[in-house]
Amino acid sequence: MQVDVSGRGLVTVEKYYQDYGSRARELKKQGRRIMGYLCAFTPVEIIAAAGFVPFRIKGDVNEPITKADTEMETIVCPLVRSCFDVALKGKYEFLDGIVIPHACDSISRTYDVWKYTLNLPYSHLINMPHSTGEPSLNFYKSILGTFRTSLGKFAGKEISDQSLNQAISLYNQNRAKVRELYELRKTAPPSISGAEVAKLLIAAVSIPVEEANQLIDSVIKEVKQRKAVPAAKPARIMVVGAQVDDVAFIDLIEDSGAWVVADDLCPGAREFFADVDVTADPIDGIAERYLRKIKCGRTFREKKGDYEDYLEERFGHIGRFIKDSKVDGVVLYIYKYCDPYGFDVPAMKSYIESVGAPVLYLEDEYSMSTIGRLRTRIQAFLELIGSK
Amino acid sequence: MTEEKKPEERKPRKHATEAAGKIGPMVKAALAENLRAKEEGEPIAYSFIFSSYDEIIRAMDIMPAWTENYAGVCGAKRDAQRFLERAESENFSRSLCTYALCGLGFDSWREETGEMPPDAPWGGQARPTVMLGSGQIICDPRYKWYQAAQHYMPDVPVYVAGLPFPPYEDDYDYRDVQDYYVKYIVEELRGLVAFLERHTNRKMDWDRLSEVVDISDRTWNMISEAYDLRKAVPCPMGTGDAMNTMVPMTFMMGTQEAYDFFKDLYDELKRKIANKEGIIPDEKYRLLWGGGLPAWFALSDFNYFNSKGAVFPAEVTYRQVEPVYELDMPKVSDPLEHLAWRWVKYWAYRHDKARKRPGSNPDVERLIEYIEEYKIDGVVIHEAFSCRSWHPGLIWQLNQLKRVYRDIPSLILESDIVDISSYNEADTRARIDAFIDTLEAVKSKKG
Repeated sequence: MQVDVSGRGLVTVEKYYQDYGSRARELKKQGRRIMGYLCAFTPVEIIAAAGFVPFRIKGDVNEPITKADTEMETIVCPLVRSCFDVALKGKYEFLDGIVIPHACDSISRTYDVWKYTLNLPYSHLINMPHSTGEPSLNFYKSILGTFRTSLGKFAGKEISDQSLNQAISLYNQNRAKVRELYELRKTAPPSISGAEVAKLLIAAVSIPVEEANQLIDSVIKEVKQRKAVPAAKPARIMVVGAQVDDVAFIDLIEDSGAWVVADDLCPGAREFFADVDVTADPIDGIAERYLRKIKCGRTFREKKGDYEDYLEERFGHIGRFIKDSKVDGVVLYIYKYCDPYGFDVPAMKSYIESVGAPVLYLEDEYSMSTIGRLRTRIQAFLELIGSK
Repeated sequence: MTEEKKPEERKPRKHATEAAGKIGPMVKAALAENLRAKEEGEPIAYSFIFSSYDEIIRAMDIMPAWTENYAGVCGAKRDAQRFLERAESENFSRSLCTYALCGLGFDSWREETGEMPPDAPWGGQARPTVMLGSGQIICDPRYKWYQAAQHYMPDVPVYVAGLPFPPYEDDYDYRDVQDYYVKYIVEELRGLVAFLERHTNRKMDWDRLSEVVDISDRTWNMISEAYDLRKAVPCPMGTGDAMNTMVPMTFMMGTQEAYDFFKDLYDELKRKIANKEGIIPDEKYRLLWGGGLPAWFALSDFNYFNSKGAVFPAEVTYRQVEPVYELDMPKVSDPLEHLAWRWVKYWAYRHDKARKRPGSNPDVERLIEYIEEYKIDGVVIHEAFSCRSWHPGLIWQLNQLKRVYRDIPSLILESDIVDISSYNEADTRARIDAFIDTLEAVKSKKG
């Protein structure tokens, strides 16, 4: 049964964020089947079309990694280690299976560790290519076909085009609502804080898409009806990084005298902005979205034109955010051991500076103990912006 | 200033085979050949090992520059730190692949000054005409490194060839999907040929490619047969030497020289076996190098193992070939299709075997196979902190080996491939000593 969240959007977000997985646990008790997944590259439409609740596995910056190290190397991305640690400690005991996309080495090279250690009834690795040309797109459609067949077998029924189209429609509605939500960040001061947006999006990937849609609607309505005007702060910041599934870092920036008004993060604009095109074969639209539309360091785009054009192709969406959201400065928040983003830093920094925004590059380890240490650097960066 | 740092002086490592002793001069000659080619305006391709395009480059007479190799040379000569620091100053994290960091530090230096960094190891690495990455299910640097290098060489085009292989899954067999994998790889390799023709003024000679593919098939077989000889007791060649003989396997595939090298190695090992000549006179423990790239600056650790009576008859690392006649390959006339089939079949080689043992997977199965065939007493792995391609999963493999097969002494070494600051010789050797004690205790218990 769907929960009515009208008028209680932000309260519900807080509940789902603080007790992450609580709604999935309830649904499991009601007989729903829950499919865990890692990363924005998992095509959630296919999971939903098979009748499962897609549940994004997240880590916990407050939880020291203690169990994961017995099975997984410490050189793996700290976010993935934290996700695995939390899963090993039984926080996601309601999962019926796990789907892992070939996003990066830290995720795909640990697939067997996840698969055999959690020993869930279902597991699948989606072997997504890195390149975006026609052969890669066609190959990826075949890969999605294999996943569709495999998951359908586990679900006990074939995944029909009709159910895929329904799921695509629901997720496209979801993305349209997130884009509407982001419009509220463009005002000065923004109508909704960066931390509120982050919590909402994190909560949204832990519940069925229908409920997420209702929740986002409810939050938008509440925010629009707010009487108190948010405090004016001197700087408008954009955060760019991989998966930031905790608000601690956003809080740190906003507590230091700035608003976070835009992002290129997961969950965040990167994950939510692009729609699936409606196509005769629904797999075509899904393949196009995940392989070509999501701009992430894990996907290689061939250089066309000169190098400036290439940077625009790779990072132009960041430039557009900077302009549209009147961003004063960009924080590149990159995890240690993150190859897809780590290698992008010099080019990304150079591009962002070329469009006129100052950049602060921070490397972190997905832990409260390290996040706190970044405060002084953020404060110094905000002072620098303020002095301009 | 990082530019002023000089490498530490050190002695060359002792080899067990004559073949391994030939490698240093071979690498040096190959790098000199690169510099000559550059001088004479021949096309040079930055390339990655195990990317199934070696034969294409060779057939098109394009000079490969193996950038991982050059970083390894810098590491082995203990002269990588200045390049790593240079990359770090460019805002590349020190936690990234240190092969790539070393290469990026080197390239950014050469591009900024317009000349080789001073005293560059073995003359340096020439500026490439093209850079050839690959998109596999391993190794993010294979598509990120050269993209990042373009920041310093924006005029040098990059091609990333998709080279996936089917994962090992419970609910479908790789044969269910192999056709579309092969089709894709062929298209990607065909795209590579077109890319090279466009950017290097070289034309593919398809007959020549067939010949080169045939040589590399025969080389795969010869390597397998030569390495199988290491099953002998006493063992005639260890992993320390294999970390040298990987050079013709990985950097010269598709050349007659590589085939001849392994034929010579085969003959040498046969002679040693006939003479009962082992790596060491009194072989007490036989170890498996169960995974991980080596610390190139500390290969003498293998000699330290030897000094304790331990030898390594087998290793997982850099044994990226199987006998082609065992790969269940269809007969095809297109050499690109042959390469694609070989690639897919190589990676699926132990899928069927793994399926017969509940809880196993192809990686664990390979460990078991080597333990049995090479009469192994213990397993050693090396966790190189900067590499997420070959290292994640090794701890689990060791654990799973013990769960689905049997308990066996194991040792985990930790440092890096290139970054010497991660290495502590005293600590490493203390760990080796303790491991040897364990092996001895197990042996005494067995009587």
